[in-house]
Amino acid sequence: MDRETLEVDVLIVGGGPAGMSAALRLAQLQKAQGGEPLAIAVLEKAREAGAHMLSGAMLDPSALRELIPDFKEKGAPVASEVHHEHVYFLTKNSKVPFPITPPPLQNHGNYVISLNRFVKWMSGLVEAEGIDLFAGFPASEVLYDGDRVVGVRTRDQGIDKHGAKKSTFEAGVEIRAKVTILCDGVRGNLTKAVVRRLALDEGRQPQLYAIGLKELWEVPKDRIKAGTVVHTLGYPLKREEFGGGFLYAMPDGVVSVGFVTGLDYRDPMFDPHLTFQHFKQHPAIAAILQGGQMVRYGAKALPEGGWHTIPRVYADGLLIAGDAGGFVNSMRLKGIHLAMRTGMLAAETAYEAIRARDTSAARLWKYEERIDASEVRRELYPVRNVHQSFGYGLVPGLMYSGLSLVTGGWWLKDPMPAHAGFDRMAEIAEYYGEHKLDVDAPVRPVKVDRQLTFDKLTNVHHSGTRHTEDQPSHLIVYDTNICSTRCRVEYGNPCTRFCPANVYEMVDAGDGTKRLQINASNCVHCKTCDIMDPYQVIDWVPPEGGGGPQYDGM
Amino acid sequence: MILVIAEQREGKLNRASWEAMAAAQQAGGPVKVALLGSGDEPLAAELAAAEAAEVIVVDAAALGEYTADGQVAALAILIEQEQPGHVFFAHTYQTRDFAPVLATRLGRSLITDVTAIRQESGAMVFVRPVFQGKLNADVTAEGPAPHLVTIQIGAYRGDAAVRGASPAAIRKVEIAVDAAAVRQKPEAPFKEAKQAVDLSQAERIVAIGRGIKGQEHLKLAEDLAKAMGAEIAASRPICDSGWLPMDRQIGSSGQTVAPKLYVALGISGAIQHLVGMKGSKTIVAINKDPEAPIFEIADFGIAGDLFEVVPAMIAELNK
Ligand SMILES: Cc1cc2nc3c(=O)[nH]c(=O)nc-3n(C[C@H](O)[C@H](O)[C@H](O)COP(=O)(O)OP(=O)(O)OC[C@H]3O[C@@H](n4cnc5c(N)ncnc54)[C@H](O)[C@@H]3O)c2cc1C
Ligand SMILES: Cc1cc2nc3c(=O)[nH]c(=O)nc-3n(C[C@H](O)[C@H](O)[C@H](O)COP(=O)(O)OP(=O)(O)OC[C@H]3O[C@@H](n4cnc5c(N)ncnc54)[C@H](O)[C@@H]3O)c2cc1C
Ligand code: SF4
Repeated sequence: MDRETLEVDVLIVGGGPAGMSAALRLAQLQKAQGGEPLAIAVLEKAREAGAHMLSGAMLDPSALRELIPDFKEKGAPVASEVHHEHVYFLTKNSKVPFPITPPPLQNHGNYVISLNRFVKWMSGLVEAEGIDLFAGFPASEVLYDGDRVVGVRTRDQGIDKHGAKKSTFEAGVEIRAKVTILCDGVRGNLTKAVVRRLALDEGRQPQLYAIGLKELWEVPKDRIKAGTVVHTLGYPLKREEFGGGFLYAMPDGVVSVGFVTGLDYRDPMFDPHLTFQHFKQHPAIAAILQGGQMVRYGAKALPEGGWHTIPRVYADGLLIAGDAGGFVNSMRLKGIHLAMRTGMLAAETAYEAIRARDTSAARLWKYEERIDASEVRRELYPVRNVHQSFGYGLVPGLMYSGLSLVTGGWWLKDPMPAHAGFDRMAEIAEYYGEHKLDVDAPVRPVKVDRQLTFDKLTNVHHSGTRHTEDQPSHLIVYDTNICSTRCRVEYGNPCTRFCPANVYEMVDAGDGTKRLQINASNCVHCKTCDIMDPYQVIDWVPPEGGGGPQYDGM
Repeated sequence: MILVIAEQREGKLNRASWEAMAAAQQAGGPVKVALLGSGDEPLAAELAAAEAAEVIVVDAAALGEYTADGQVAALAILIEQEQPGHVFFAHTYQTRDFAPVLATRLGRSLITDVTAIRQESGAMVFVRPVFQGKLNADVTAEGPAPHLVTIQIGAYRGDAAVRGASPAAIRKVEIAVDAAAVRQKPEAPFKEAKQAVDLSQAERIVAIGRGIKGQEHLKLAEDLAKAMGAEIAASRPICDSGWLPMDRQIGSSGQTVAPKLYVALGISGAIQHLVGMKGSKTIVAINKDPEAPIFEIADFGIAGDLFEVVPAMIAELNK
């Protein structure tokens, strides 16, 4: 097939905080050092910059200050500084405040932001530098020359359900670059492929992930002061589960409320969406939301494995930054500043390498060196075993987290052994004993009132998700037989629960058995299924350009 | 003066043109109607029944078959000649194709998908849905007249357009459209699917959902539709499984309809379905789950098994 090709010097895939920071840094270096201008392109799958951004979000401004010192003058949307902080341990009906806010959860000097607005703002700066931002163009494949990464191919557009070309067909474009910086976020499809092919995770621990569900609410203006942040531990999670809730107050009565759970839970019947509903029903949270209105919903995974799970982030012609590389501090639930900083360091390395006309791994190795010498390592190394320690339960985890502040993260066995999250899921019979469980009914149901609590479909409506319906499913399940046979018995089809958008349904096959129905166009691109499916038969690939959520204000 | 642009194809008026007419009449002030095409006398006579100052028939060879360039060229000249305050269109596929170009050509504002209009201190305020219908925005036009406005299909009722005591005057105008300026070459019209339907034109709809269980039961719904003289439509899972073509899907990723009567069989009433049919005049729901959300918007609800209720309805209708 004839494909158009585009040649650039640096290609950045993913327009999140990592990708935008990389682009801005390149423009700055270019300006400061002059010379033949570099051709730079940014690819983003969302229809417009920021539309697929979902975060808490509390911003540690350290990297921002360095990248854009006059960010306030430039109108950065960082309206509310953190004023009041609370950390609660929740039991079913009450809350126990932590006597002191543990240092990693201290947020004075940080800002409560909407990452969607923040990234939109950054995209304006990027475009003002004359950098091409291709929004609505998902990258589907990495291009290689031997083991050297030479660019990516964007997805073909205009293919119908059955794989035939429609009248609107447009072949994907090959974008070739001297250096490709992958910033495709948590469980990025390109990073996943490249890490596998080049064995970049050799000798590293398996990545651990969490899923965060979030709603944006409008509550009466005097209900809660802007800049108030609340973190919770405990209920509705069981002790063996890692995670907690958050509630951040912004100006004008806008509240961001969410719940994060480790994707290494054991209970196969666990449902993150129901858990989030239970959390909102807790008196401490309901009191704030009551009488308000839910205006947005979304979900997204985040990497939480930390230092020992970060793959090799460079190869011939390749750098990896941000969530794609796993640069998140799970103890602080923060990754934006690390995404920004790794994006900047990647840009510096790429710039230098191109000027030196050597973009081989031997040269790009400098990226790792830069990271090791930076704040990134200083922040991540001491907390390197935190999520892994919660694998042993909440109490040991909390003890370890406290202890790690004293010991600098040292543990008897370092790195602490960890399993891939999906590996920990127990089988129904093992977890619930031999008795017969109705796997189509929730174990801890919730009464949906569509005011405080919602069903998944109503929630998904508020994610603004849209896809062209007539296209092949972008959730590829390699073996659907397993769903109605083994999985149904062993795990009770957990995809129907962990997917926060009701993409997976087990429906009557008409012959007394069930079959898997995939509602691909519901997908909010959270990546949970790709991560958590116990048989690892689900592959998330990007849908046609522009498809996905519309996370205004998230 | 409001100039309403009527739409025709192959000698038939688009039903939605009457809705745009009703919107213009209710907005207040004198109304004129324009019809583009060559040799459309019977349609002009049909339009003349409306309470309107006049019907303008624009005849030009280049308008024989629809092209965006031809439409824009002719309308730009007509609007220049008539100097209306507003130009109203029905928000059809054809309008969507050329209206943005026309607005840009004229350098005037365009307000699309309007669902209601009110007067506020002498100016028209237009209501249009935003965020997939979750919110309504009030919009006023800026810049000099005329302002271009497209009316959402189903927002106004075509039969509410006021008819005149005597037929309106019909005036023909010749507009020279330079055939060379038309860049599109229309090919013979074709229909994507064999039975492509525009459900927005249907007055009665029987819609089926997953409660129908199997494709083999489709006949039951079709029999009901036949007995009622209704079109058949469905929720997404039905079209997704290929039991009905995709153009029969109602909802946020399908068609938006507002028939006089909408009968929902075995549809739970997920919000994505509701946004596509909540404008229906009368909604009848049959669902065996009394808690199903469809009952919250139904005018008449039957909590029961559709396989018992529907045959009884057909029998009653066929009496
Ligand atoms: C619920 C939740 C709460 C959080 N709270 C906080 C917080 O309070 N503070 C904090 O600092 N961090 C927080 N984080 C983490 C933070 O959001 C991430 O670390 C950060 O967004 C990572 O930035 P990134 O640029 O690496 O990736 P992303 O922000 O994920 O951006 C990746 C971009 O790449 C695009 N993309 C992906 N694949 C492709 C492709 N194939 N082709 C083209 N484009 C593609 C995506 O659409 C996206 O725009 C939170 C995360 C979650 C989920
Ligand atoms: C982005 C997005 C876009 C979407 N777009 C659309 C759209 O355009 N259109 C659309 O319809 N949906 C759409 N959906 C899907 C929507 O959310 C629902 O999944 C869908 O509408 C459900 O269809 P249903 O009511 O037929 O099925 P179900 O929800 O399974 O409901 C079946 C109903 O039948 C009832 N029933 C079962 N047996 C009987 C019986 N014997 N007699 C009577 N009643 C019976 C049951 O009680 C149940 O209420 C979209 C979803 C998303 C996320
Ligand atoms: S299908 Fe997978 S990626 Fe999409 S919303 Fe569901 S779990 Fe997330």
